[in-house]
Amino acid sequence: MAKKRGRAPKKNRREGLQITSMMDMFTILVVFLLKQFAAEGAILTNADNLVLPNSVSKKKPKEVNLQIAVTHDMVLVDNLPVVPTEDIRNIPHDNPDPSNPKLEERLRSHYAQEEEMVRLGALNEVEGKVIVQVDKNMDFDVLYKIMNTCGKVGYNNMNFAVMERES
Amino acid sequence: MALKNFKKATATVKDLDLTPFMCLMVVLVPILLLQAEFAQIAIIDINLPEGRGSQTKQTVKQRPKEEENKLLLTAIITDSVLTLGAKGGFLPSLFYQEFHKYITKDDGKELTVKYDPKNPEPPKHPVTGRPLEIYERYDIYLYSCDQDYEEINKCLYTKYGEMLTDVDGVPVQKVEPGDTVYALSNPRRMSVVRDPSEFQLQPMSVYDELKNRLMKVKERFKDADDAENIIIAAENEVLYDKIVQIMDAARQAEFPNISIAKLRG
Repeated sequence: MAKKRGRAPKKNRREGLQITSMMDMFTILVVFLLKQFAAEGAILTNADNLVLPNSVSKKKPKEVNLQIAVTHDMVLVDNLPVVPTEDIRNIPHDNPDPSNPKLEERLRSHYAQEEEMVRLGALNEVEGKVIVQVDKNMDFDVLYKIMNTCGKVGYNNMNFAVMERES
Repeated sequence: MALKNFKKATATVKDLDLTPFMCLMVVLVPILLLQAEFAQIAIIDINLPEGRGSQTKQTVKQRPKEEENKLLLTAIITDSVLTLGAKGGFLPSLFYQEFHKYITKDDGKELTVKYDPKNPEPPKHPVTGRPLEIYERYDIYLYSCDQDYEEINKCLYTKYGEMLTDVDGVPVQKVEPGDTVYALSNPRRMSVVRDPSEFQLQPMSVYDELKNRLMKVKERFKDADDAENIIIAAENEVLYDKIVQIMDAARQAEFPNISIAKLRG
């Protein structure tokens, strides 16, 4: 009799879908994906027709710095086109201190901005950090001249952006 | 009686109603998955070109006057040779031939062709016959060859793509069961050959041999003042991709302070 009474209510109960485990999974997935976004962000924006070389480097870009992108047609500073790459290439090879005046001027104004921010107390010091994105089919000559221009202005702390090699 | 009824009513509400939350999840997960970037961008630290652009105090500070116990390790790359040099002299040059791997945009076919620097024409598409674009070039392989650029040197690789060397760090072409070999990772991984067919004979990559040599240099000159520095000197025409690959080899051999210099032609 006691057994019978115990079983009867069970039969009447409507069994719902067991979604607890699926909920767990979804929660973990969402948290993971959100975290990935928070950690990465889109610090580097990839310019069009710019293929970065593959590398085994695991170091992640941490903060927003000045960006220089070198594509086959244009040199861009913070995603604004500044000077055609051809102009950079045409600087004579025997020039001991190659630099492009237009690019130099643009970089100087960015550097002055940073100095201004230090004066106002928004930054601790002028870091002179710059991230250079160069197309992997670019020749060394152009790279060297751009690096030299950066160094001249005071951007000594350079980083190359690369694609992480999968494997 | 009223209490009994109330109890009955609350007993049926057992679980939270998770349906709205589920709906949210079902929307959020695909959105986030779609937006997630799976190609990750990383960065490489480098120093400024040697001898140029050092007007600021920061760079001057990094280069002290005395250079007694300095190694001045330099990797020199031109369009056909890769050489490793230091203050004491140069190691034998590594002559290389270039092979370009293309992946076609329209049908995703892989194609590896030998590149001739004297005749730099892009290869033709295997089916349609159109010349391939530079953006379709996926990878550049540099294979070590002899002095006359005729025969490509080969050596054994593990299934993970690591070069095999013997005790002295010389690449091996042939192994017998029972031999002791070292796989080129950092630090080198020793193993005893059980089955020679585990390893494949492949063209020797110049980058692997460079890494091998750099690791030897690192072992021998641990206590030099600049045991972490390397200068990469390149000719004008060298592609950026090759420089990044050399940087990778340098970093894997524990030379993290990379400087870049230019060879005067």
